[in-house]
Amino acid sequence: MWAMDSIRFLVAASLALLLSTPLAAATPSCVPPSDYLSPPRPLPAAARSLQAGGLRILALGSGSITGPGSSSPDAAWPARLQVILLEAYPGRSIDVAIRGGRGVSVSDHLSLLRDAPIADWPNLVVWQAGTVEVTRGLDPDEMTEAMRAGLERIRRHGADAVIMDQQFSRFLRANSNIEPYRDKLRLIAASAGAPFFPRYELMQQWVETGVIDLERTPRAERAAAIDRLNDCLARALAALIIQGITEAR
Amino acid sequence: MILDATRNPPSQRDPRADFFRGVALWMIVVNHTPGNWLGNLTLKNFSFCDATEAFVLLAGYAGAFAYAGLADRSGWLVAASALIRRIGKLYVAHIFLLVVFTAQVGFSAAALDRATYLDELALDPFADQPYRTLLEALLLRFQPAFLDILPLYIVLLALFVPGLALRHRPWLLLALSIGLWVGVRAAGINLPRWQEGGWFFNPLAWQLLFVIGFFIGQAVRGAGAPGVPPKRAWITALAILLLGSGFVAMLAVEQVPFLGEHIPALILDFLATVDKTSLHPFRLASMLALTYLIAHYLPRDAGVLQARWAKPLLSMGRHSLPVFCVGILLSFLIRLMLEERDDWLMQLAANFASIGTLVVVARLAEWQRTGGNPRPNALPAETRAA
Repeated sequence: MWAMDSIRFLVAASLALLLSTPLAAATPSCVPPSDYLSPPRPLPAAARSLQAGGLRILALGSGSITGPGSSSPDAAWPARLQVILLEAYPGRSIDVAIRGGRGVSVSDHLSLLRDAPIADWPNLVVWQAGTVEVTRGLDPDEMTEAMRAGLERIRRHGADAVIMDQQFSRFLRANSNIEPYRDKLRLIAASAGAPFFPRYELMQQWVETGVIDLERTPRAERAAAIDRLNDCLARALAALIIQGITEAR
Repeated sequence: MILDATRNPPSQRDPRADFFRGVALWMIVVNHTPGNWLGNLTLKNFSFCDATEAFVLLAGYAGAFAYAGLADRSGWLVAASALIRRIGKLYVAHIFLLVVFTAQVGFSAAALDRATYLDELALDPFADQPYRTLLEALLLRFQPAFLDILPLYIVLLALFVPGLALRHRPWLLLALSIGLWVGVRAAGINLPRWQEGGWFFNPLAWQLLFVIGFFIGQAVRGAGAPGVPPKRAWITALAILLLGSGFVAMLAVEQVPFLGEHIPALILDFLATVDKTSLHPFRLASMLALTYLIAHYLPRDAGVLQARWAKPLLSMGRHSLPVFCVGILLSFLIRLMLEERDDWLMQLAANFASIGTLVVVARLAEWQRTGGNPRPNALPAETRAA
């Protein structure tokens, strides 16, 4: 009797599992899925400054902004972003600066924003957040408070913001409690009306479709794969920024 | 209804509590295995409360039967020493799980390319300072990801020792509990963690949920408890409205971005501030609304509770400590399995293996306790918390 009950229970559980299966993507390239750019959120300040001649972007983040493991600093995603946006807007000046680095938390980012000289203020801040918080197990609500204060500061300076979440890796997913932090980042972006760049989801999709899988790449090919990842991320991010600028016009 | 002690003899265990504790334990295992597709189906996706809230509420509920009953029969000192024995058991279980967790992180880290994910190295403090980390873990000041529920439970039971002495003065106990919750929320007080910050689940705030669960248990036992809201249409409507708005907000933010764009910024601002660490009032209210609806609209003898498929869950709910600990161990194993390969076959294998193992563990615990004789459906109160 007991065995039968358990079997029925397991059958029900497996049905539930099948129902919750995510839909697999078909294209084996690093082009983001079509629904990734929705909902469109405008970037009015970026659009205005671009119209006036140039766009200054600040990439604020932790370890990944320096493109660790890539072949050269030019291969990191902020540098790639600058090149791609220059191609998209020929004749305009595009400048991407970076602030932050390994182990730099959102609260540190907030002080960086506070200390920034007025003359240096960018028109658009790409805020890559949440990695240091999740790996050190910092309070997700303190992260939220710091980011909301930072976003308010960015808004008061007449600049736009894009929020970028963590990198996907099997190690991070398996060994950290990442979901609460990702949920918070999405909520923070929504409440500030800022575009959300779902880096984690994109990278997970690239891993699952075999496009880029750093954790399974042989050592000899790793630097090339990291370059490719940074380029793919920069392209996806550029598409999001271009959409925001177009949306604001 | 939950307080209808006249219809149900006070000595009978409520199968609804066992059933939902079984469900909560299963959800905790699923939520502890990131990447598990079933993770999209657990309570946290639909509501501003999750299995942890249910687990703590039901721990308080079980505490009423186990320790308040014992204290009434044999005195506070006997119950307090039983509680302390229980705390010791939980502490040893926690340290054991921590050792296994550390081995798992070490195993995963060996395969990680350290150059790529610089910030992720912080996940493995044992690599840098093994002795200090061990000491901090023993002091419960270092709690790795996902090993935060047992420390919470340990402190809740420790607070329950003096709390039990006040069981005959329920209003005083409730007032102290609410006062502590309000106080630590207002002052931002939390137990300290090593290096920086506070506990992921602040026990000084979460004790309120435990105390409320305790009073529900006391009411069911027929012992003194502040009145629990009766079945009223307007309370029901309020509870549904609360859970419904949480459901819509969750759906809009997580699943349907188009919908999310139409939520006013004011509401999104509010939702962003709903914290789990110190049990935000919205989370507490969501859990209580859910409890209210279940207590009043799911009868004790409902068909769903007597269905064959519910039996494994009831059995899991009756033996929560072994099921919880084995569940956490299984979650380590599933994480390694999904790290290795993540397709539907592995997902099926991992989930079948885990639920099957949990059912076997619950069954073994049942046999051990009853000497091989299956229990009847309605159970007498136990001397120990399950």
